[in-house]
This record gives sequence, C-alpha cells and structure tokens, in this order.
Amino acid sequence: MAKKKSKRTIVGLPLTPTLLDELGALGNFPPSSEDFNPAGNWVNTYRIWTCHGYRESGNDNVGFLRIERLINPQRSLTLKVHQEVLQTDALVNIIEATVDCRNNQLASPIQWKVSSRFRGADGKYISELSSNNNSVAAERLDRSTGDWCLFEAVQRLTFEKAPLLVFDMLEGLSLLKKDQHLSYRGLYPTKIGSENIPLHCFVQLGSGILPCEYWLDDHHRLLAVVSMNKAYILDEQAEKITR
Amino acid sequence: MNKNTTIERSTRFVNRRDFIKLSGSAVALLAEGTLSRNVLAARRSRRPKPKNILLIITDQQHLDTIAAGGCRHVRTPALDRLKTHGVSFTQSYSANPLCSPARSSIFTGRTSSEAGVHVNGRPIRSGIPNLGQWLSQQTDYETFYAGKWHVPRTYTSDIPGFRVINTGIGGFGYLCDTVMSRACEGFLRNRSKRKPFFLVASFMQPHDICEWLRLNMDNPGELRYPQLAGELPELPDNFQFDENEPEAIRKRRLGNEPFKGNWDKEQWRYYLWSYYRNIEYVDAEIGRVLQALEDFGHAKDTLVVLTSDHGEGTAHHQMVRKSSFYDEAARVPLLFSWPGHIVENKTDAVHLASGLDITPTLCDYAGIESPANMRGRSLRAVFEASAGSRRDFIVSEVTSNTGRMVRTGRYKYITYKDDAVEQLFDMKDDPGETKNLAARSRYASILAEHRKLLKNWERRLDVPPNVPNADVWRRKG
Repeated sequence: MAKKKSKRTIVGLPLTPTLLDELGALGNFPPSSEDFNPAGNWVNTYRIWTCHGYRESGNDNVGFLRIERLINPQRSLTLKVHQEVLQTDALVNIIEATVDCRNNQLASPIQWKVSSRFRGADGKYISELSSNNNSVAAERLDRSTGDWCLFEAVQRLTFEKAPLLVFDMLEGLSLLKKDQHLSYRGLYPTKIGSENIPLHCFVQLGSGILPCEYWLDDHHRLLAVVSMNKAYILDEQAEKITR
Repeated sequence: MNKNTTIERSTRFVNRRDFIKLSGSAVALLAEGTLSRNVLAARRSRRPKPKNILLIITDQQHLDTIAAGGCRHVRTPALDRLKTHGVSFTQSYSANPLCSPARSSIFTGRTSSEAGVHVNGRPIRSGIPNLGQWLSQQTDYETFYAGKWHVPRTYTSDIPGFRVINTGIGGFGYLCDTVMSRACEGFLRNRSKRKPFFLVASFMQPHDICEWLRLNMDNPGELRYPQLAGELPELPDNFQFDENEPEAIRKRRLGNEPFKGNWDKEQWRYYLWSYYRNIEYVDAEIGRVLQALEDFGHAKDTLVVLTSDHGEGTAHHQMVRKSSFYDEAARVPLLFSWPGHIVENKTDAVHLASGLDITPTLCDYAGIESPANMRGRSLRAVFEASAGSRRDFIVSEVTSNTGRMVRTGRYKYITYKDDAVEQLFDMKDDPGETKNLAARSRYASILAEHRKLLKNWERRLDVPPNVPNADVWRRKG
C-alpha cells in the first residue's frame, strides 16, 4: 500500500500574536487590568511554546517561565525566576534564580543566585547534573541586563520611538551576549479570536540571538515574547505543562 | 586505523614521487600493516592517552562560520578558543551531508550506506558497533551522551552504549541547547576527576535555520527590521548557479523556501544574517561547556573534538539547507584540542578529512584498535608528525544513496544515479565550484581517474541489500 503523505502547510511568516492565535498557541490571556503596575509587585507566568514552521504539526508547549517582581526596602528590586523545560522522555530542567537588580531602565543585575536541576521521568532529581552559581556583577554597569530582567524592564518603558537602548545581556545569568539593541517598533492591530486588540511591540536585536519581539498591552503588561520559533505566552495555567 | 585499507591505498594510489614525499612517520604508518597485532598494541599503549574525551557535535554548521577561521560575520569566542588551542582541518567533509546518515558515519566509521542509514531516522545496522559501545567494551572510559542522536530517534534516553544524561527537545535548538549545555555543565561540575569519561555533547544549533526558513518563506518585500540593512552580509560570489546541474540539485533548489517564496536579494541576505546569529547562539552554549571543563579541572586531561554533521547552503549557488555536495553543505568544521599534546593554533589545509575519521581517531587516542572495516583513518599522525601521510581521496554519499562525491587533493567529482550530468570542479582554481569541467575533453582522463577511484572504493564496501541503489554504485564507474 502506498504510504500516505501527511499534508503540512509551511507557516511562511514570522510569528506574531495574530499568527500565534491562528496556530492555536495563544489560548486566553489573563484578563487585562488597569491596575497593573509594572513598577509594583507582580507575578507573570508564561507558557513556552515552540513552532516547527508548519501549521498543522510539530508545534508544542514545552514548559513555563514564572517571574515574580518584588520591591525591596533598598529601593532596588528583586526578581524571582522559576523556569521548567520539558524534554523528550519526561526529563525536566528546572532553573531557579533570585536576582537583585538596580532600579534602572534595564533592571541591571547586581547579584544573583541561579540553580539548575534535572528531574527524571521517575520524578527524582538527578544530583549529578545539578549546578548552582552565586555571582555579583563585576562592576556597577548601567549598560548590562539579563534576558529575564528584560521581561521586567520592558514593561516600564514608554511607548515611543525614543533613542535605542544599547546594552550587553547576560542570558540565563550566565552567557554574555554583547551589543544588544532594544527599540520600540510601534502599535500593531492584533486579531485575537474575534477581538481586535492593539498591541505595542519592542524589538531586541543583537549578537547571539534571533530578533526578539516583546508584545505588550496598553497597560504595559507583557503578554508575549516571540523570538523566531519560540514564544513565551502569558498564561496563568502554564505550570500544568511540566507537572 | 584499518591496516588492510592502508596497504591497499598505499599500493594502489601512491605513485613513486608521492611516496618519496611522504615523511618518515608516514612511511612508518604505512608499514604498520605488516606489524603484528601485539607490536601495534604495545606501541599504542606507550602513547599518551587522554583521561577524558569530549566530542562536541553541532548541527548544520558550515566550515566557514568561525571568526578565528576568517568568517567576518560572526563572533565566536568559544569556537575561536578551540581553534586556536588545537588543530583545525579546512578540507574536512561530511561523510553524507544529511543528519542521520552523517551521524551514523561519525559514530561507526562506516559509510552511511554500510550502516544502513541512507536516509534520516534509520537505526545503525546491527553488528556495527557505535563509538559508545566500542569504547565502553574496550576501555575504561564511561560513556555519556547529551543532546541530539537521530539514529534513529532524534532525541531519546535510550542510546546503545551510552548513558544518556540529557535528551533534548525535538527540533528546537534555541531551548534544547541551553538545557543540554547546562546538563553538561552540571555533569562536569560533579564528575570525579579520577573517573575517565567519554562525553558527547550534541547540539541542535544552527539547525534552527530550517525553522527560520519555514517562518520566513514568504518574501515580505521589505526588511522586517530596517535598522539591520547596514549589517546584512553580502551575497557570495557564486550566488548564481549553473543551469545544467544534475537534476537532483535542480529539484532540491526549486523545492526550497527561497524559490517557493520568490525571495529577493535582501531576503537572501537576511537569511544569512539569521544563520550567523544561530552560529553565535551555539557558540555561547559550547562556551559554557568549555568553561565548565576549565572551571572544574578537566581541561588539561580532556581531548576535545568538534565537528558538525553537515553544513548549510548559505546562498552559494542559491542553495539553502543540506543534502548537496557543494562545499557549503558538505564541508564542516573539524577541530581537535588537547593541551600539551596536540599542537596549538594549527590550520591544516592540506589533509583531506572526513566524518569517517572520527571513530578511528578516537579509538587511536583511546589506545585501542578500531572496530573492523573502518572506512576512515586516524588523524593522530597528522597532529603528531611533522607531516602526516596524505590520503589521496575521500568519498561522501547523499540522501537515499543516490549520489557520490569523490574529493581528491585538487578536484571534486560528483555523480548521481540515473543522471548523465556529472560534475568535476577544480577546487584550486575554482573553489566556488562554478565551472563544471566534466564535459571538457581535456579533463577526460581526470574524470576517468575519479570514476575509477569511486568504483574501487565502492567495491570494498559492505552495503546491506535493503539499502536502495547498492548495486548501482558497485557497477558505476
């Protein structure tokens, strides 16, 4: 019997919130709130969704990222990060970080603790793969940030074509990616379900990364971060994915 | 190294003048075939053996993607560090420029057709050991694997001969490589320095360029980020292609996204820019692993080898992706580093190397004989002698066992099943492979010589009957 060829349609276009919705990736964003204060205490949880480039198959939720922002008495801020990524055969990588940041435009990290652990299919932690790292920024640099810090910082930026932010980025608080640029792209009409919601977009370009777009609502709440075939989508239920 | 193969090569392909040119050590190497097994084993045991071996594999990385190797479009501090701390080959070819077949050759030292992995997603034929099985049986190395496997499953916790410390995520290098390098970092941090290991760190990037192609197929007509306009790499000199190529290549090109999406030159340049960012991405992850080697005291005791399964079209001949014998898809990095034992900062542009050489080379360093019927050879002599023995040619295969490439010191010969169009390029005068010399009468004898090399090579192979076109290549000449 002749093998039946599965029909797959190439997406063809870079991912945007509208396209994520078309591909069934978006679900429902948590209800929007005028009370959202980017400079206050908050918790945002993002589902991590990946795209293979086809409309019908190969696209999947692979984990979540939770970021909690806490204002501390020293008028700096602390980010508590928890990320879980689900791999083949039920292996889970768990990253936990606490980052003390300057209260500047980039939330520049001052000191941090990061741990990486792996949990096997049997639910047990694999101690021989664990690592942790406590660090203090070598200098008080205003030009540096981290990728998780940007999830926070971008929500405090104004929606205007201001001069570019130029910085170095410590990805995962461990890998230095130099010469990053962040700029406001504009306001884009976005079709989500039957609604048209205008969303604001910032884009980050730089070495060692594919262009990364940050999509925010009018209240400056970060709804989605999209970089090529990967999207972080605000979703209160995201933690179910790895549990 | 397979001694019988060496003798055969020495008598058949080395003429008198070339023989005289060979160094003393190379002659000694050729003479190995006459030495007894015990003498060879004793000789191997006297040579230094690295306590650990780290084999780093990237996915879809063309040779010309390393800043220290001259690529102007990338920053690659980790790859630069490996390159400057060891030996890098510039004439290094994938044994089959497609994922699973290439990997089968890297891990067995056998051609992909012999291994039964003529297409993606096939298991290595039973009876042919992979490196993990061989080293764990023959040595005291404990064997570990992290990342992409793809023979047959892309990601799996079950790889014969290895303990898998990290499986990876299907198809997504962006996430997968970060998790994988963190697992390797944890492994190196916690690993006792007393226990030797062979660790494979198999990264997915820059393979995400495949997803990029699918997510950028439709020509937008304008650059999505206009601020990049001044940063986009120029198109290569051989961007144009020969209309009279073999049909397999023409079909492949037309089936790729740039032609489906009717790209303009700016979109081609944006594709190149994006590919190089993926290279930088994997470079950073490799850097994490190399740093962990250093930080946790393994660096001096570890032989590090880096290669890729195949390259990427990178707009040369208006090609993207793999499965082509043009240099961009077929030529891959091959770096060796072992502080104090392998000469530093040496670029070898003379010796032809192949993915088939990795298994025999690592067995040589591990102080053991290779499995039977190696089709590659140990490159150790090249690092350690003033001049290694120069091989006459290497052969690569392509998807579904439909094509062959013979690369000699000066020429590249390409032939496909059922296609009268052959290709012959003078790689010295025409490194961009723009002038097909196969139909020119003055090259008839060179063409015939390459056909003969291929025929003789094919006769030695042991290809299982279930691999398509096995007979075609035995007959072809």
